[in-house]
Amino acid sequence: MENDELVQNMLLELRRGFLSLAVLSQLSKEEYGYSLLKALSDQGMEINQSTLYPLLRRLESQGLLQSDWRIMDEARPRRYYVISTQGKAVLSKLKKEWSVMSETMSKMLS
Amino acid sequence: MNLLEKYVAEVGKYLPRKQRADIEKELKSTLEDMLEERNQAGAGNASSLQGEAAVVALLKEYGEPRKVAESYIGPRYLIGPRLYPIFELIVKIVMAAVLGAGLLGYGVSAAITKSFAGTEFFSFLGQFWLGLLGGMMNAFGSIVIVFAIIERVMPAKEIEKETAEEWNPADLAKEPDPDEVKMSEAIGTIIVTLAGLIIFNLYPNVVGIFFNTDGKWTFIPMLSDAFFTYLPWINLLGVLQIVFNAYQLRQRVWTMFTRICNIVIEVSSIALAIVMLSGPSLIDLSAGKLAGTPLADAADVFSKVMNFAPAIALIVVIIVGCIEVAQTAYRLFNSNYKTK
Repeated sequence: MENDELVQNMLLELRRGFLSLAVLSQLSKEEYGYSLLKALSDQGMEINQSTLYPLLRRLESQGLLQSDWRIMDEARPRRYYVISTQGKAVLSKLKKEWSVMSETMSKMLS
Repeated sequence: MNLLEKYVAEVGKYLPRKQRADIEKELKSTLEDMLEERNQAGAGNASSLQGEAAVVALLKEYGEPRKVAESYIGPRYLIGPRLYPIFELIVKIVMAAVLGAGLLGYGVSAAITKSFAGTEFFSFLGQFWLGLLGGMMNAFGSIVIVFAIIERVMPAKEIEKETAEEWNPADLAKEPDPDEVKMSEAIGTIIVTLAGLIIFNLYPNVVGIFFNTDGKWTFIPMLSDAFFTYLPWINLLGVLQIVFNAYQLRQRVWTMFTRICNIVIEVSSIALAIVMLSGPSLIDLSAGKLAGTPLADAADVFSKVMNFAPAIALIVVIIVGCIEVAQTAYRLFNSNYKTK
């Protein structure tokens, strides 16, 4: 039981590290929060709303995302997010780092 | 207002005003999306929740409003990690000073009233600790308030700048930059000045002596009327000093303007100190005031002895002030001012 909690906490920390990368990777085309949540979930990345929305705001304040409010097909206004030029540059660097890291970890864990 | 809107407004209550409207709008839009999708998925399914019950289930799942709001704002500090080390240092210094002054006062009062034994001793001790505790709480509260204000007034970018600068071990060997404002000095001066202003204006009676005569406690304030005639000038200089140091904290670097301001304030303080030193006594422990206390007979001598304290303090102010003026004037003419 004790270990379960420890594992959960460590998993949370691990996920926190790569969630930004996952979100940036999925925003090459515009998405609003809930559609992004589903897109991530469809690919096996379950993420809580209370984690996603603050993360989106943080990435935007860092200049990695752009957003604007729009009314698309339905009457409800939604905030659409898309990766910025700076975000693309950062994503490309992060991707490289990630593949090195993941290779290193695979070697270490095998 | 329906349940969903009430929930959004409740989350908004815990959010900073600047971001509130925007987060509320996005949260409402998200919740409506989720609800709509659930309703569509549940259409034709008899067991699925509809209407208000569906909203209740959704909100329960989304979480307690306070927690939802917390996820947006992150940790908030009364005194953040950047200021905390200086805060801790100032608290230690001030507490030691209050304790030291209290113990000294206790020693003097106990010696005078000879309450070293019996029930009187315990009663005296109890009174002393209560008074000291009150003084320490007051001092601590004042320091917390000042630091909380600095935490909020000082721009966040300054905080980032400080931590973002690359640290170089060679800095340890370097001479300190004479144009750099020492943060701890500026904050320390603000706190000491503020504490002085608070004591002299709000609690002037704290400066005094306790007596226990025939089991009855009397408290005699020591400051004379003459002292209070100087108070408006002390206040003016104190406020100027605080404003000046707060400005220094923002600027972070000495400029020609701030050096001139510093000289003006210091010279004014020296002038006031000289006037106070040469004027009438700042301590009034005349026979009338001390009537009925063990010191009534020796009032004159005691008053003269006690007058040494403000005289010494004023002489220290004058000497330190002169050194400060000389140093500042020297740097005023021997510094190549940099823009940071």
